[in-house]
Amino acid sequence: MSDDHLQVFSEEAEDLLGLAEQALLSLDDLENEADTLDCVNDLFRTFHTIKGAAGLFGLDPIVDFTHIVESVLVKIREGEFGVDEDMVSLFLLSRDHLEQLVEHALNGEESLTTELATNNQDLVTKLSIYLGESAEDVALKRADIVTGELQLTEDDDTLGVINENWHISLRFGPSVLKNGMDPVSFISYLLRIGELESVVLIDDALPSWDELDPEVCYLGFEIKFIATDADTNKETIEDVFEFVQDDCIINILPPHSHISDYISMIDSLPEEDMRIGDILVACGALTEHEKENALNTQDKFTDAVIAAGEEQRAPPLGKIAVEQQTVQQEVVDAALKKQSKLKQQRANSQQSIRVNALKLESLVNLVGELVIGSANSELNARRLDDANLNEAMENLLRLVEEVRDTALGLRMVQIGETFNRFKRVVREVSLDTGKDIDLLISGAETELDKTLIEKIGDPLMHLVRNAIDHGIEAPSDREAAGKPLKGTVKLDAFHDSGSIVIQITDDGGGLSKEKILNKALEKGLIQENQTLSDQEIYRLIFQAGFSTADAVSNISGRGVGMDVVRKNIEALRGHVELESEVGVGSTISIRLPLTLAIIDGFQVRVGGAHYIIPLEMVDECIELNEALRGEDEQANYVNLRGEILPFMHLKDMFGDKPLSENTELSDAADKHRDNIIVVRFAGKKAGFVVDELLGEHQTVIKPLGKVFQNLRGISGTTILGSGEVAMIIDIPEMVNRVVNSDKQNFVSSQSIH
Amino acid sequence: MQEIAIDAEGLGVSSGDSAQYLTFILGSKVYGLEILNIKEIIEYGDVTEVPMMPDFISGVINLRGSVVPVIDLSKRFTGESTPHTKRTSIIILEVTNDDLRIEVGVTVDMVNEVLDIQANDIEPSPDLGSQIQTSFICGMAKVEGKLLILLDIKNVLSIEELSQVGGVQSMVT
Repeated sequence: MSDDHLQVFSEEAEDLLGLAEQALLSLDDLENEADTLDCVNDLFRTFHTIKGAAGLFGLDPIVDFTHIVESVLVKIREGEFGVDEDMVSLFLLSRDHLEQLVEHALNGEESLTTELATNNQDLVTKLSIYLGESAEDVALKRADIVTGELQLTEDDDTLGVINENWHISLRFGPSVLKNGMDPVSFISYLLRIGELESVVLIDDALPSWDELDPEVCYLGFEIKFIATDADTNKETIEDVFEFVQDDCIINILPPHSHISDYISMIDSLPEEDMRIGDILVACGALTEHEKENALNTQDKFTDAVIAAGEEQRAPPLGKIAVEQQTVQQEVVDAALKKQSKLKQQRANSQQSIRVNALKLESLVNLVGELVIGSANSELNARRLDDANLNEAMENLLRLVEEVRDTALGLRMVQIGETFNRFKRVVREVSLDTGKDIDLLISGAETELDKTLIEKIGDPLMHLVRNAIDHGIEAPSDREAAGKPLKGTVKLDAFHDSGSIVIQITDDGGGLSKEKILNKALEKGLIQENQTLSDQEIYRLIFQAGFSTADAVSNISGRGVGMDVVRKNIEALRGHVELESEVGVGSTISIRLPLTLAIIDGFQVRVGGAHYIIPLEMVDECIELNEALRGEDEQANYVNLRGEILPFMHLKDMFGDKPLSENTELSDAADKHRDNIIVVRFAGKKAGFVVDELLGEHQTVIKPLGKVFQNLRGISGTTILGSGEVAMIIDIPEMVNRVVNSDKQNFVSSQSIH
Repeated sequence: MQEIAIDAEGLGVSSGDSAQYLTFILGSKVYGLEILNIKEIIEYGDVTEVPMMPDFISGVINLRGSVVPVIDLSKRFTGESTPHTKRTSIIILEVTNDDLRIEVGVTVDMVNEVLDIQANDIEPSPDLGSQIQTSFICGMAKVEGKLLILLDIKNVLSIEELSQVGGVQSMVT
């Protein structure tokens, strides 16, 4: 099979495994039996679909493994035993293993690595415990179920036949050729999984020449088959005939089958019993003695069911089909469900298409260029001062803006799926730590950029683990503190002034400031007499090598985490903050920009350079006049309608570069006045004094290269309509600076950034 | 922007043990750069200063839609900037750093020519007597009796060094 197909298979398998995980996790919470059964059915379907697909590709390890999982699920469905936590864990492990198998298969490697094989064996053994039999028996057992109804009790003494090989009996249905199937190709496909010891053609059904219809298949085969792989089970062989199983009579008997199986097979076949017996002997399935034995036993049996005798001689095809269907009712059910599900999936796929991420990326890049290009056109159009041109330009710009929003919207994905992954994490970690924990998810429909979603997964994982391991106390401690025994971890996502906020809240013990301070002193991160605000103290835990957990557990506490989390989030132009109250719990808020590509910006001029401030963060613009500033020329705060607003001159920070010749000055710049732009980030307000306000600008973010990786206060660049490069101000960083510098005026403390 | 000379590949790959070098003038000295790293040469202009960066980083330019940092080579070597003239050019180089290809521009006073230099005409860099850091030099070449300083572009444009000095300057409050 080509890699393309394999790729499709792996994508499908990935989706299905995702579904399986969800089903498994919901299985955990369910108390209602009917719902549980639904879930088990879901699981069965997903595993079965994977098995079927894997079979098409001849991925035997996957087929074999899923088969065993399926068998256990069948048992559950039949009510042989209920679902408990251990079983869910085992299934989850099996699911993971399957994921690895799929990945392995995708790499095109035939044989399993030792690690996978051991894992495989391990899981198979564990699963087999539920089946109450060894793994090899599973296949046999299945065969028994299929032919089980006609099982005879009287020949207990005649055990399995001597035949060491599989026996496959095929009667192709009359419509096989019309359906475009070639009987020979199925038989030659068998060669892929084993050898054909002997093949006997059954042409008894062939009519005379006059009656012969060349489009009807009259043939049958009796095949003695040697499986290459000792693990080959009935399912594997059945899968070979998957496409024709509906209109053919297929009997597959494993090695050393019970003689009664042969009898029932002989019964089910349209030909004369004696003749079949001879054929079976001829192809080596049975010895002469076994044949006699079988036919004699059958005679006895036939006497008992004499009424059916006539029909048994030549039972109509339909009846056999029905008979087999009643035996394999669950298989039929599964197939039907699979079909209806496929239909449903097809309906879904009409609403969405898979697009290569690279294509999408190049589209977004192109739109970025389009935005820059249109800004340039607008600038030139305005210079020409032609009414018609300007109007056309307006229209064009509006469209460009819409195209921009749509293109960016294509990359938006709901965060819910990422959140759901954590159900599993919470479940496992709470089992490991012996804490009972609920995961509450809200804001799952909040959308954010796909690249962000991918990159936020790991930091989130870490934070959730931390919340459980360090945050939530042991049940005994919780009881002592008068809290509910069950701990709660909450994941929430929402939009807030141009950012996405993801919050992880736990109702655990909270962070002890004392402990953090002591630890920080110990590690030399702060000095003895330093005064720190609460926020600054909490920020310490994001320093490298910092962990307040007294004991290092296998989940977290090695102190490599939080600083990496912070770095990862900052790499996404995001910020992370922590709030905590001892005894009540902690909340970690991650703020991320809505998108990484194009934003609405507010353009300002400082000296000769242009800067962009993300528009969503701009609260208002006010004139900085005497009335506002008050007496003190040197003051770095103003009274904004009764509120203290710290501010800074951007010139002080970015330098006062003289105006270059090609910087155009608008009229407003001549009557110079200072403006304060009031920005807000994470609840904090700050003002920046600029020379001129230039209005809105669609800003295509061009990242600053590695050369500028340590530059603070500038988050990127953009290209203006004039072709000039403008810096984008990193507002979160700058707000922190302003607010901190304000404080530093009172307390001369070393900044702990 | 007018392009004076472009495209390293177009000039043909060096044969045998000789390599091609682009020579340029900086201050009073002639330098050479292996042309394989050179992407294009453009006229100097429209450099946007990036605040809070060391002096030898002139700023960034808009190179057909991508933002490329520009380094003042003279400042980097001697700490002194040479005055910009009509012949001041920016050589756009492509360097690989940690498997990441980045484009960097360097300003030079004047671009000369492309020379074929035989490997045995190149001598190891001297330990003394040079105005600039020895790690920037990968050798000295004698061409028609004149000495040419061949630059080790990896070291000149080491991202680690460039960005390290670009740390936060103390804030004025």
